[in-house]
Amino acid sequence: MSSSLRLGAYILCGLVALFELGVVWLLLHPDVPPDYRAYYIDKTTTCLNQPVSGSYSLGAVIPFTPEGKDAAKPIRVCGWEGPTGDGTHAVGTSARLRFAYAEPATALTLHLSMVAVEKSGHLMPQRVEIVANGMLLDTVSLNAPTPQQFSLALPAPADGRVELELRFPDAVQMGATDPDNRLRSIKLLSAALLPADQV
Amino acid sequence: MSDAVALRPPRTLPLGVLLLAIPLLLAIAGLVIRYLAFAATVPDASIASFAQGMCRWDCAWYVKLSQTGYDPFPVPTMINAGNWAFFPLYPILVAIVRTLTGLETIVAATGLSILLCIASARVAWPLLGRDLRAYTLFSAFLVAGPFSIWLTTFYTEVLFLFLTLCVFAALQNKHFLLAGLFAALLSATRIVGVFIVFAILIEIWQAHRANGGNWRNFVPAVLQRPDRLLALFIAPLGLFAYMAYLHFHIGDALAFSHVQRAWSRPTGNPVVFVWNALTSFPREGWAPTPSQQLAVAVLVGYALSIVLLVKRRYGMAVYALICLTLPLFAGMASVLRFTAALAPMPLMLTELLASRRWLFALALLGLLLAGYFTTIGWLTGYLSLV
Repeated sequence: MSSSLRLGAYILCGLVALFELGVVWLLLHPDVPPDYRAYYIDKTTTCLNQPVSGSYSLGAVIPFTPEGKDAAKPIRVCGWEGPTGDGTHAVGTSARLRFAYAEPATALTLHLSMVAVEKSGHLMPQRVEIVANGMLLDTVSLNAPTPQQFSLALPAPADGRVELELRFPDAVQMGATDPDNRLRSIKLLSAALLPADQV
Repeated sequence: MSDAVALRPPRTLPLGVLLLAIPLLLAIAGLVIRYLAFAATVPDASIASFAQGMCRWDCAWYVKLSQTGYDPFPVPTMINAGNWAFFPLYPILVAIVRTLTGLETIVAATGLSILLCIASARVAWPLLGRDLRAYTLFSAFLVAGPFSIWLTTFYTEVLFLFLTLCVFAALQNKHFLLAGLFAALLSATRIVGVFIVFAILIEIWQAHRANGGNWRNFVPAVLQRPDRLLALFIAPLGLFAYMAYLHFHIGDALAFSHVQRAWSRPTGNPVVFVWNALTSFPREGWAPTPSQQLAVAVLVGYALSIVLLVKRRYGMAVYALICLTLPLFAGMASVLRFTAALAPMPLMLTELLASRRWLFALALLGLLLAGYFTTIGWLTGYLSLV
């Protein structure tokens, strides 16, 4: 190999090494939105916020069954799997719904119909923390083998948008190697947001 | 006639023609076999629907990736699984072929995959010890065997296998820089391709030892050979280029790894995963469960790696062991595909099966029959071939 070729090869080695070092710097400094970071990198949530519209008419009862799939789609943000049978399973440690409505309202009532999951034929009692627009409304207990209904009052937000989060502190691992975003807790059968004066 | 005599190519055809004719004829046979299985399985099967009908599971991801490129974040279809896990080189090549020919994506991919299989066989000729029986079996394995469902449709495996063979063929001739260039392409094809840098390093070490070198003067010797140094530096370049692209596209150079979370793959001890799969006995009957099929594939892979070690093909063995083991940390998913398309595996397997004439005949027949039944299993979902 001639000396000029050797020199060229060394220079090329240096350039490639520099490029690779630069990429290492990039991989150590991701530039991503908070939702991305929380779900994929930090793994602080199992529910990746999806930009669903939340389009919803106040008072409508949304069934989370296969028949209600289209109606549920715009309000299902994350943490849901299915529908299957009589409802939709929550997966992970939390799940979210978004309600964006145009009707005027001063106070609202949230209706939820849920049932706790079974594992190996045994009911797994669940606590569900219900959070609306960042405020904890209540912690309810699911301990019956049949669906349970819950009604909770909440103030109507000025922007007509309710971000509902259900947290599952008792979510269970169904398989020995299931990761956190496969944990099971409840099945949601239906959800509705009603103006308080219609309840 | 002794086996040694039987290994010689027939003299009636020029060797170059024979080496082209064997994979070509087997490719045609493979197409017929898979089409017969397709026609026997799929209602209203036609030649026009054949390529699309064979495209299952990840194939559909590659088709879409080749057509629309990488997802932004958030993913427009509002799912967690962005397509960043799929490496870019093969979808890019298929997009080029599609643009040049005007063919449908899956047809272009099928044609290119078959061509790459034939090219792979040709590249493997010196790696198979120029043994015509092993060459025939290797060709049959690629284009007509049970794993042709992946190698002749739109999976990245065929390019991965081809480039791996190119690296080892270059290493066999001590063309380290060429090996490095192929390795760079390999690392843009599948993540584990980057580990071929260890095979290159081992071959450089062996060349160093053959020249009387020892471990003390190894590093200075490599530093004095800029071609070898460059080979090592450029080997992972494909991966680094993809990472740079991902950073500027969605802000995360490791998106291909982080997105695995969306598939909810478990992580754990490979030994435990393999043991659990192996002991996952069927509840009724004797047919092995899908988990057991995958476990057997892994064990066969390790056995072949040990044979490679015994035969002192250290570069291939180390590379194979890394590529077999790393995916197992995320469970057993797809390990059959990963094992089958790991070039040292079919190389070693066909070499062993070609050692006796009767075994060769049996293996060839077995490969062709397995090609038919695996295609049926692929189309019906009976076999665990994801």
